Amino acid sequence: MNAGLQYVLIVALAPLLQGTLQSLRAKLQGGFGPTPLQPYRDLRKLWAKEALAATETSALVVAAPGIVLGVALTFAALVPAPGGGRGVPHIDALAIALVLALGRFVLVLAALDGRSGFSAMAASREMTFAALTEAPLVLALVSSAAGAGEGSAKMPVAGILAAAALLLVMLSETARVPVDNQATHYELTMIHEGLVLEYSGWSLALLRYGAYVRQAAFYVLAAGLLPGPPGTALLWLAGFVVIVPAVERTYAKLRLYEVPQLFASSVVLALASIGLRIAGAGAW
Amino acid sequence: MRRGPALNPFADAEPRRALGFAALIAAALGALLAIAHVGGPAVSLVPSIAPVELRLDFSAVTTTVPFLALIAVVAPAVGLWSLTRGGAGDGLRLAVFVGAMIGVLLAQSVAAFFFAWETMSLVSAFLVGTHHERRDVRRALLSYLLVSQLGALCIAALLALLGAHAGSFRFPDIVRAAPALPTGLRTAVMALALVGFGSKAGLVPLHFWLPRAHPAAPANASALLSGVMLNVAVYGLLVVSFALAAPLPLSWGIAVLLVGMFSAIFGALYAAVDTDVKRLLAYSSIENLGIVAGVLGLAICAAALHDGALETLALAALLLHAIVHGLFKSLLFLAAGNVAEAAGTTDLEHLGGLRRPLPFTAPVLVIGSLAAAALPPLSGFASEWLVFRGFIGALAIVPPPLAALLALAIGTLAATSGMAALAFAKMLGIALFGEPRTTHVVERERPDAATVGLAWLALPCVALGLAPSVALAGCAVVAGALSGSSAFDPGPLPVLPVLLGALPAAGALGALLLARRRGVRRVATWTCGSPVTPRSQYTATAFSKPIRRIFGFVLFPDHLEIRDAGASRWFPVRVRYAVTTRYVFDEAARYVAAAAQRLARRMRIVQAGLLRVYLAYAVVAVLVLLAAAR
Repeated sequence: MNAGLQYVLIVALAPLLQGTLQSLRAKLQGGFGPTPLQPYRDLRKLWAKEALAATETSALVVAAPGIVLGVALTFAALVPAPGGGRGVPHIDALAIALVLALGRFVLVLAALDGRSGFSAMAASREMTFAALTEAPLVLALVSSAAGAGEGSAKMPVAGILAAAALLLVMLSETARVPVDNQATHYELTMIHEGLVLEYSGWSLALLRYGAYVRQAAFYVLAAGLLPGPPGTALLWLAGFVVIVPAVERTYAKLRLYEVPQLFASSVVLALASIGLRIAGAGAW
Repeated sequence: MRRGPALNPFADAEPRRALGFAALIAAALGALLAIAHVGGPAVSLVPSIAPVELRLDFSAVTTTVPFLALIAVVAPAVGLWSLTRGGAGDGLRLAVFVGAMIGVLLAQSVAAFFFAWETMSLVSAFLVGTHHERRDVRRALLSYLLVSQLGALCIAALLALLGAHAGSFRFPDIVRAAPALPTGLRTAVMALALVGFGSKAGLVPLHFWLPRAHPAAPANASALLSGVMLNVAVYGLLVVSFALAAPLPLSWGIAVLLVGMFSAIFGALYAAVDTDVKRLLAYSSIENLGIVAGVLGLAICAAALHDGALETLALAALLLHAIVHGLFKSLLFLAAGNVAEAAGTTDLEHLGGLRRPLPFTAPVLVIGSLAAAALPPLSGFASEWLVFRGFIGALAIVPPPLAALLALAIGTLAATSGMAALAFAKMLGIALFGEPRTTHVVERERPDAATVGLAWLALPCVALGLAPSVALAGCAVVAGALSGSSAFDPGPLPVLPVLLGALPAAGALGALLLARRRGVRRVATWTCGSPVTPRSQYTATAFSKPIRRIFGFVLFPDHLEIRDAGASRWFPVRVRYAVTTRYVFDEAARYVAAAAQRLARRMRIVQAGLLRVYLAYAVVAVLVLLAAAR
């Protein structure tokens, strides 16, 4: 697939992906759920509304949503197209990890500026989980960088392990059960939602859209790690769209201090993937 | 009796500050002069009268250029800062310190190196002990002196071993004799170097003096200690492993790599849970020097595997990261000094909202922290990215068992950068934003010479991030001279930070413009209806609680709750709550110290206190010596 086309699709269809996931989750839970187009409507509604900010906060609080959206758009550009003409010379593991860290860092500072205990608690949890997911994220991408192109066909198992590692990171990064619950209304349990608790109106629209783009980019990235000719990536993507709501339907949110074990398994999966590639040294 | 200013111009503060500033500028010029004379003839200070072993040879070689350049940038900034802040006499002492460090970098003979090294160690100890009237400062000074003299002994031993082997005490002769070093001697030399230079560089487990010395030392001394002196120790390791004792076997590369990774992850973990700005910065130094040592280990491995391109890449990454860390760390320590002077404390539990009274310090603190957290588009990102490029590139080249180790190292480095981001998000978020946590009046800052010094240091932190090419080219030349291979491919790094930073910057601008056009209504913070007070804000301890609990198996968190019950135990008058973490290495050290004391108590039997017993000892000693000498 053409890298430019992929970028346009990620940016345009990101809200649709979110809508599909939410609607599927509702259906699996026995409800009707909103239409998959609901996020577009939400964004339009939020965009039209005025933004609020806590008194005595700095310009950072106002600028943060823009930075977060910029980071998401940059991240989407770094995702290589599965097979064929890739957007960047090779998956740049560290660039992806650190550009995502930039968006998070800014949002955490903004949350601490708001003086709200809820946001600060969410900020602390977000930074903790991010510190723990940085290693599996980078390792999974490093493993796939070696297998990009023809290598992925040679080492299908390594690719699957890397994608599994990335999937666990993705659950945390895109605020899904068992790490976080997007549907919660209880501030004390919020992580991603808590960080943006103080935002409203058009600045919340920027943040939401940024989160959608980041999520879509993650899905495409993970699908690209799996083996098969370029066309199959779409199939894998569809697979993720079913798996994630199914996980949300089946599992309860983990206790905060049990989540690190999830990330530890992710590290093990990523290391196993790299180990396989090292053992079959030809794939490098 | 007070002497008048006419008799002694140094009795007044102002001339002393000006003189200190001039001396630091002179030191910086000296560093520049040395760079201009790279490759020139050696200057011998003790030409003929003294024995040949005591020759003091000084000359500038290519390897020293990045370190001299770092001094040339940091010294003027420290000078400017000391013009208006800190003690009046700081400048002159700091200039001597800088001079000694330049001496270490230029030394080309054993005596010169050791003389300069000891001068540097002792002057820095005086700097750490500036406020020796405080008990904690005296304790910090003692632990620093102990470690630094232990290190100096190791360095003296290794230089003596090398000199004896080469039959000459001049570095060029030692370098020529290095390939013929017997394996045992090479191992001994490298082990001594790792203890001697590693303790000065703050590598785990000989790092413990660092987090004690920094809160004790004044900010300008801390800036030079962390920003420059740690790098001089790295220079020592670099010179031993790539010149004086080269070539090293693969196993030493792995050993240095492991030490580096341990330091990196432990430094980052402790930085993440610490609540004092200066101690947090000290732990961050341990982390960054760990990264530098790790990439040095990679370079040694590459040299042992005869991979010139990888060796050059690793060495260039080492130099770039060392320089970049030196710059942002001196910036951060000077800025922390401003915080300490303004708020009277560097304890995060009391700070908050400093962005308002400190409109000049706050932005540089943000710049330095973003660089320290390795976020694009600042300098820390460029150097960390190059370090990763070295490791990821090596994966494809090295044999399988080593590749598995490198994969672990990559994971460790990634986790380290995540922890560092947490540490600096905590530091900035708590200190600069929100409201002050305890009531203290902070006077509004006015721009002065110190502000200029901070801006002078912030500039390269931004510039090396946006345009790393300049520094890259220089580091590649020096690395190429060390490895003998000029092949160097930095990949997309020259443009990467700008590419990554463009959209976020545009987004920030867009959001600010939108806010100007559409307006942002100010409302109270949402806290479920309860009032927002400064004390209801999150604290640094709370912020790092999840990490403290998750890594409880090495941090040993402990909490203490004191309730002042008053009339009813359900309505306590006062609740005090304290959280402590214990350090694995302190616990281990305490154990070793206790064992040593027990042993010493046993050994007391020989100290009978009787004159005839001591005379018997003396006779036995003489007899043993005679027997040995025969």
